[in-house]
Amino acid sequence: MTSPADRLSPDALPKGERTAVSRRTFVVASACVAVAAVAAGAALFRQRNSRARDGDAVLATVLPDLDGRETPLAQWRGKVLIVNFWATWCAPCREEMPQFVAVQSRDGAKGVQFVGIAVDQVDKVRDYVKEVPINYPVLIGGFGAIELSKALGNELAALPFTIVLDKHGGVAHTQLGQLKSAQLDHLLASLLA
Amino acid sequence: MPVQPKLLPPDQAFRLSARALDPTTIEARFDVADGYYLYRDRIHFTVGSSGDLPAELPAGVRKHDEFFGDVETYRGPVVIRVALPSAAPGRTLTLHADSQGCADAGVCYPPNPQTLDVDVPVAGGKPGAFVEAGQKKRWFK
Repeated sequence: MTSPADRLSPDALPKGERTAVSRRTFVVASACVAVAAVAAGAALFRQRNSRARDGDAVLATVLPDLDGRETPLAQWRGKVLIVNFWATWCAPCREEMPQFVAVQSRDGAKGVQFVGIAVDQVDKVRDYVKEVPINYPVLIGGFGAIELSKALGNELAALPFTIVLDKHGGVAHTQLGQLKSAQLDHLLASLLA
Repeated sequence: MPVQPKLLPPDQAFRLSARALDPTTIEARFDVADGYYLYRDRIHFTVGSSGDLPAELPAGVRKHDEFFGDVETYRGPVVIRVALPSAAPGRTLTLHADSQGCADAGVCYPPNPQTLDVDVPVAGGKPGAFVEAGQKKRWFK
């Protein structure tokens, strides 16, 4: 193993600068570099870890559909899975859903799967889908689903909140507020490549 | 990472305070932060196990919602008179409020419960001072 301190030995400095002061500065500086490297590494590790863990939490979710059938999200493992937390009482949520419907029909065969989790009551959602058909599964999360979205990074518990998993089940993106069409296309282009 | 809207927690976006005017009337006030709005018909008050208390909700700004039809919204400060189920002179009552609103940035908050303790004056006494709501999360129980 080569530590940053080995690679940057004081001998690499011009002769005249190898004084006691510069050596001390060097020791402090390399200690800082080492600490920063460890911290950055740990942050990256934590981030990767939490992306995998959050992805697992999404895939471990089981919620009833509009007919009350328990629906495990794990059945879509291996797809680019886009889980959208929404509610009928949330106008910005309703506004963005037609584009999800369009992308589901455009890219479904390429391995894209949308799932809506409604933070809502089942009768409200049933009424809604009668008026506005949705071509992907809609599950009923009730207000409890807000807790799930909070665990996935939706600290404000606001809607819409969308989490995108790559084909390996890792979190590729989370979005509070609407996912813009261009942004979604850009994301899918890289995740389906 | 894409830019995500910077948003206030709902208790700050929809600050609630209240005072008792007399033994049977509470005056509640929402201070809705700039860029946020509350739905008039999603505001409810209860005390203890009372049902929804009669509340004088001022007219809001009409807005057409394609699913809910015409709805009214509040921005800025809104003052609401709430009638207590019975006179409570000299007592401290815990007022529960539920409200629901959104941010212009394009997100909505779930129904937000807020709670505050209101000192009720005795008959003929002076109205109490406004107290601000705490940040209890009843619906996570």
